[in-house]
Amino acid sequence: MKPVGMIAKAASVIGIGQTDWPGDHARVRAAQKPHDSYGYAAQAFVGALADAGISRDQIDGLIVGPTTAYERVGELLGLDVRWGGQADAMLGVMEACMAIASGQAEVVALVYGNDQRSALVNYGGADAQGGGAFLSYVYHAPWGFTSQGALYALMARRYMEERGMSQAELGEVAVAQRMAAARNPAALMRKPITIDDYLASPFICEPLHIFDYCLINDGGVALIVAEAGKAERIGRAPVPIHGIARHDLNRGATSLEPRLTDYYQPAQKTVGEAVFNMASLGPQDMDALQIYDSFSLHIPLALEGYGYCKPGEAGKFMREHGISLARGLPVNTGGGHLSESYMQGWNHQIEAVRQVRGEAGERQVPDCRHVHYSSDVAGKAVSIIYGR
Amino acid sequence: MANAQRIMTLYDVPMWESIERRKMALPRCSACGTFRYPPGPICAECNALDYEWAEVSGNGTILSWVVFHRQYFDDHPQPYNAIAVRLAEGPIVVSNLVGDEPDGSWIGERVTITYRRHLDRLQHAFTLQNQKSTQLNRGEDA
Repeated sequence: MKPVGMIAKAASVIGIGQTDWPGDHARVRAAQKPHDSYGYAAQAFVGALADAGISRDQIDGLIVGPTTAYERVGELLGLDVRWGGQADAMLGVMEACMAIASGQAEVVALVYGNDQRSALVNYGGADAQGGGAFLSYVYHAPWGFTSQGALYALMARRYMEERGMSQAELGEVAVAQRMAAARNPAALMRKPITIDDYLASPFICEPLHIFDYCLINDGGVALIVAEAGKAERIGRAPVPIHGIARHDLNRGATSLEPRLTDYYQPAQKTVGEAVFNMASLGPQDMDALQIYDSFSLHIPLALEGYGYCKPGEAGKFMREHGISLARGLPVNTGGGHLSESYMQGWNHQIEAVRQVRGEAGERQVPDCRHVHYSSDVAGKAVSIIYGR
Repeated sequence: MANAQRIMTLYDVPMWESIERRKMALPRCSACGTFRYPPGPICAECNALDYEWAEVSGNGTILSWVVFHRQYFDDHPQPYNAIAVRLAEGPIVVSNLVGDEPDGSWIGERVTITYRRHLDRLQHAFTLQNQKSTQLNRGEDA
């Protein structure tokens, strides 16, 4: 079947780059400051350009992540472009595809750098980040209710009771992703853990354990996305983007209505229908998933929301079918935010590309043809399908 | 570390004044009757702009709860709980459960609003409607 919509297969990823996450993490923990956000962004960009094997002059579009200023990144990299903007990972890929499909750009660099660990950025407490974009992150502070972890803990408690998922079943996420990280030399946390380790680990915001939380580390990621025809001409190993879709739940967001009543799954259902339709593919065609995992709970919600299992069966699916490289449907094959690196969705994009290219080394999913990326941060659901 | 701060927009001020009077009120849409939380300038249901401040009954049901095992604020030493309460009027508010705690799950427990002194202000908290002990409001300014 022919893909639907003007951005289906309009663009392909031709280059990926990343910084030395474990090395820089060790340096930061030794009280050094290897780079700032701009330094990480610059390193990742240089890596992506080299990976693509193209010259800087061929870039005519620029997307910069939310943690650095657009103009300054363009200035540092020496990029005068005919199209650009600032976006998070998922919307950055979407906007690049839209710009390419509409003829505004032909080769777009997407560049992200974040020194959140060395800069002592807090995601909870009196100086919690994100309140400007999401009021729910700061509105309930007078009652001590702070941190995105607490928002997911509140959601997890109700979900686990209503849908019948056990703590040990939720622990499958942390265990599976740590297994992936153990096979990934670029991951921060590589020591395997068991369900018993998970259950014995301390609570941060109960019912979530420390292993349910993402890491916080410095680093950068970059991608080069090119018009599909041009990608075939200039790219070393182009990975086409088969579909992208988005649906935002804004109503009741601060009072946590969409979070606590339907667990954001109506947005995922809408996005799933749109993205699979666009790609002329279905969940059964996906060989691996990359799911934005600031917290482990994202994984069961997405498995149900996108139809990989029935509502209420994610816990059983993870326990019996499996979500690891060893069995079942591999999820977050690089270790994700929990064990690889907290690059706010950017590391998931390059892991998807690497898997489709067949360049994932010890953690390669055999004959990986299609990878589904999903995020549902604060009820803003986005899906991207990468494939051959 | 620092103390937890309130968000105080133009529309939050009257709500906090009503809490100081121990009669929490929220904006209620003049057209369709929907309560707004957080307080705001327009009804998200019908987009009517007009509203009046209406006192809430203070009755609700616990939708979910968490226990913090990490300290984030000077004024909230861990461990402490937080609850999401579905008010009888419709909105979900986040608060704290004080007094007796349920055995087992807290979800579905019926609760009633109370007010307690916190630093320089009153703020709301909730108690179980079916209290086990008579020392209901120990430590509160009720």
